[in-house]
Amino acid sequence: MKRYLETGNFAITEGAILAGCRFFAGYPITPATELAEAMSFRLPQVGGMYIQGEDECAALHLCIGGALGGYKAMTATSGPGFILYADPYGWAIGCEIPLVVLNSGRVGPVSGITGAPGQGEFYLTRYPTQGGNFETIVLAPNSAQEAMSVIVESFYLAERFRTPVTVLADQLITDGFEDISVPENEGEMKEMGFRTWPRKINKGPVFYPSTDEIDIPPVVLGHNTGALCSDWTPTEEGYDIEEVAAHHKHAYRLIYKVRNHKELFNNLYEKNFMDDDPELVVVSYGTPSRVVNTAVKKARQNGLKVGALRLINLWPFPDEHFKKKTKYLSVELNWDGQLVREVQRAAGKDSEVHFMGSCGDLPTVADLIETFEKILKGQPLKRRGWELEEW
Amino acid sequence: MDYLSKKYLRPRKIPSTACSGCGLGMNHKAVVQAIYELGLEVEDIVWGTSIGCAGRQTFGTWKGDGFAGTHGRVYAIARGLRLTLPPEKKIILTVGDGDAFGIGLLHLIHSARSNADLTIIVNDNLGYMSTGGQYGWTTPHGSKTDSSPYGMYEHNLMSDGMDVLGVLKHAGATFLARHVAMDGQRAVESIKKGIRNRGLSLIHMVYPCPTNFGSRELGTRDTIKMYDYIKSQSAPMGEEKENTLWATGIYHDTSDSRPEFSENIHKNIEKIRRAAAV
Repeated sequence: MKRYLETGNFAITEGAILAGCRFFAGYPITPATELAEAMSFRLPQVGGMYIQGEDECAALHLCIGGALGGYKAMTATSGPGFILYADPYGWAIGCEIPLVVLNSGRVGPVSGITGAPGQGEFYLTRYPTQGGNFETIVLAPNSAQEAMSVIVESFYLAERFRTPVTVLADQLITDGFEDISVPENEGEMKEMGFRTWPRKINKGPVFYPSTDEIDIPPVVLGHNTGALCSDWTPTEEGYDIEEVAAHHKHAYRLIYKVRNHKELFNNLYEKNFMDDDPELVVVSYGTPSRVVNTAVKKARQNGLKVGALRLINLWPFPDEHFKKKTKYLSVELNWDGQLVREVQRAAGKDSEVHFMGSCGDLPTVADLIETFEKILKGQPLKRRGWELEEW
Repeated sequence: MDYLSKKYLRPRKIPSTACSGCGLGMNHKAVVQAIYELGLEVEDIVWGTSIGCAGRQTFGTWKGDGFAGTHGRVYAIARGLRLTLPPEKKIILTVGDGDAFGIGLLHLIHSARSNADLTIIVNDNLGYMSTGGQYGWTTPHGSKTDSSPYGMYEHNLMSDGMDVLGVLKHAGATFLARHVAMDGQRAVESIKKGIRNRGLSLIHMVYPCPTNFGSRELGTRDTIKMYDYIKSQSAPMGEEKENTLWATGIYHDTSDSRPEFSENIHKNIEKIRRAAAV
């Protein structure tokens, strides 16, 4: 094990290499630029390729090409680039191509502030392309060290589910410097809970049966298997077809291969002070969860019966955490309220759901504790800096 | 096409579902004939296509491996594939004019810039014909289409002395040719040269669309009239007449003159890897 004081981008690069990534196509964008830079430095050293696309749309298509050639591929961007991924995302989801996509969120919409963290793509990562009829896997780390393990896990899941896996980070996670341990051999990887899955090659001629099966190797071109893949509704052999019945089979596979195997990733969450049925559960993911954890710890010392639920697996949304009738508070880096809507839906009418958003900055521990107190006393909440409707 | 079809194409997809009178099959045959004459086998080629008439009608026809990209993106996918396939595998793309010269032009220019070893056949039916017939970036000036009911008057890549092949030449493509579907063996010879070039080759091949282009511009779906429209306005380079819109032949050939995209990258990676290992 080697220890570094380094950025999340460094941790992600090393994690990707450990997971077998040998192809990265990117496009410079703050705050994911340093990840592209780190990849351009490290990948050639291990025989991998770094390519710069003419735009983000090209970058993810280049990754698709790399994956079709049999490589484990990855790209990274921020919101303005993520939106340009919509096109290749659809292709990769529809053709069932394993890829890892990292989005380092900054405050938006559009270019916003390049140096401020944001969580405006909670829903966009669930629906990164048009058309519907698919399920996606989204994971959100909250530290540089965890970003490494989440990247390794994403490559593992991408191969088994043959689909792009999205990692939703933010500017503080990718750019921030932290204490990072990098395993140096397989034994140390195992010790850290890292698991990997090799790229296998679909032998054809039936590539993807109309079932929810996972672990079917993805299409890889160039092995003369007669592999076919396209943007159209496929037959089981990959031919294009204009037939609703064929589309039903396709959509079933895309949705249920993920939904029916959630056990492979639904253990990715963190609970603090949750064992004694807290009166208020504070829900968050990514960077704000670190402030939340501190605030909840302090609130407990002050005698408030508060617990913290941090989501790592964001999508498919883990409804199972919200079965208990209680009060919930969603803490997010946006003012419009995104995660809170899913919490409301999953918690149901009997629970009380509150929202506390920040826009470009982070909540403070004092802000959070004050909010906890108000909720527990049944007092009305106001959003920081902006008075809007109550949640 | 029978002997070529049996050897290289899938019976499920041939004949294609193209409209009657469509000239795409002539272009398609020229490509397969060129492959045959070069002595290439099914496993030597990975075939990519785009959307639109040209993409959809040729997708899945090749007996070997194939893929189809979304609108205009197949050039970026193909470049990623180029990097990860062995260099001896040829990548051939059959695409349309809207795909290559409209929505995909940025990616195409960067494919030329990087000199990726791809052979791109741009099948030009003079506009967006699979969506019913709207003008595109090579539609002759004055043509009536569904989106130019008064005659096409917007500047495009083949009007006012412009030539889309000029754009690609200056972007770094190393083989460029133009033909019409009726050019027969002359087109086959150009495609052969394009496939042989280790770099970006593009063959622009105009073909007749009686169903949508012909019916709007010529007022008839008469196949012969549509074929005459293209044939009479094309001539081999050097033999152009006043009405020649498409001068056919090799426009630019600097085959094998500069390092190919993937070769260049792999060479540099190998150097870095060795230095890192020391």
